[in-house]
Amino acid sequence: MELVGRRILVTGGSSGIGRETSILLSRLGAELVIVGRNPERLEATRSRLEGGPHHVEEIDLSDAIKIPDWFKSVSKKVGTVHGLVHSAGTQLTKPLRVTSLNEIEETMRINVVAALSLVKGFRQKGVVDAQGGSVVFLSSVMGLVGQAGQATYSATKGALVSLTKSLALELAREKIRVNSVAPAMVRTEMMDTMFQSLLPEQVAAIVSMHPLGIGTAEDVANAIAFLLADSGRWITGTTLVIDGGYTAH
Amino acid sequence: MTRQQFLSKLESAIEADEGSIQGTEKFVELERWDSLAVMAFIAMVDEEFGVSFPATKIAAATGVGDLLELVEDKLAG
Repeated sequence: MELVGRRILVTGGSSGIGRETSILLSRLGAELVIVGRNPERLEATRSRLEGGPHHVEEIDLSDAIKIPDWFKSVSKKVGTVHGLVHSAGTQLTKPLRVTSLNEIEETMRINVVAALSLVKGFRQKGVVDAQGGSVVFLSSVMGLVGQAGQATYSATKGALVSLTKSLALELAREKIRVNSVAPAMVRTEMMDTMFQSLLPEQVAAIVSMHPLGIGTAEDVANAIAFLLADSGRWITGTTLVIDGGYTAH
Repeated sequence: MTRQQFLSKLESAIEADEGSIQGTEKFVELERWDSLAVMAFIAMVDEEFGVSFPATKIAAATGVGDLLELVEDKLAG
């Protein structure tokens, strides 16, 4: 499972799973393009990467229409791209009755619309490497099972599970594999934010639903690397569940 | 926001009847005070006051009076 000579673009690269994934991929020999909105945080992640050269790119993914042209311009600068990881995303923990339409659309925009737009960009001639490519989306167990207060988030994560399948079939002829990972609770800032909206007993209940406890960003990064590298050569259209046993109930 | 407006907003967050909350009720007395109500209350406070309340602050509350106390310094009159 190595990625020497592979160039991989990671959105959400400045925090959480995106950051740990970028670090792991760099250790496996990949050249990274880490994408985010905050230049300081992007640089902070870049400084932790091994090898190189590595690049940082700023873009607001909620402006999806700009993504394909932006991707082309990035590729002109750094060369062809072998992999895409969409780890940028937002969570929402509130009952539907106090969820605004704007919040629903915004969550959809970053988690789903940007995902599709990124693949539109990635598959362009001259962007994806002639040898082919590998795409990994960050879905969630919330895209497979439900929880009160998670309807909007579930909608977006379930969307990724489905679009992974259709895109995989559509892009196989272009030598692009498309997969998702579905983590359960992972120790990141997003998890901390989510837990802020829940009472201690609710948090305890969620933790206890993980037979192997809460996961780490490295756990998920390992799965993403597995799918990106040649170890995932024969894997497409699937959602790899990494959840400490959460969905086994 | 006034105390009365806060109580009205709380009523809609937990979908209680208009005017049914006076400010002294204990949660056990309120039909719709559950974990979703806690989430809805936090969302409401965030939207109205721009304050992010961690749920732990509400964990110790046993009634509407405690919630009023939490936002006391932000209420007008």
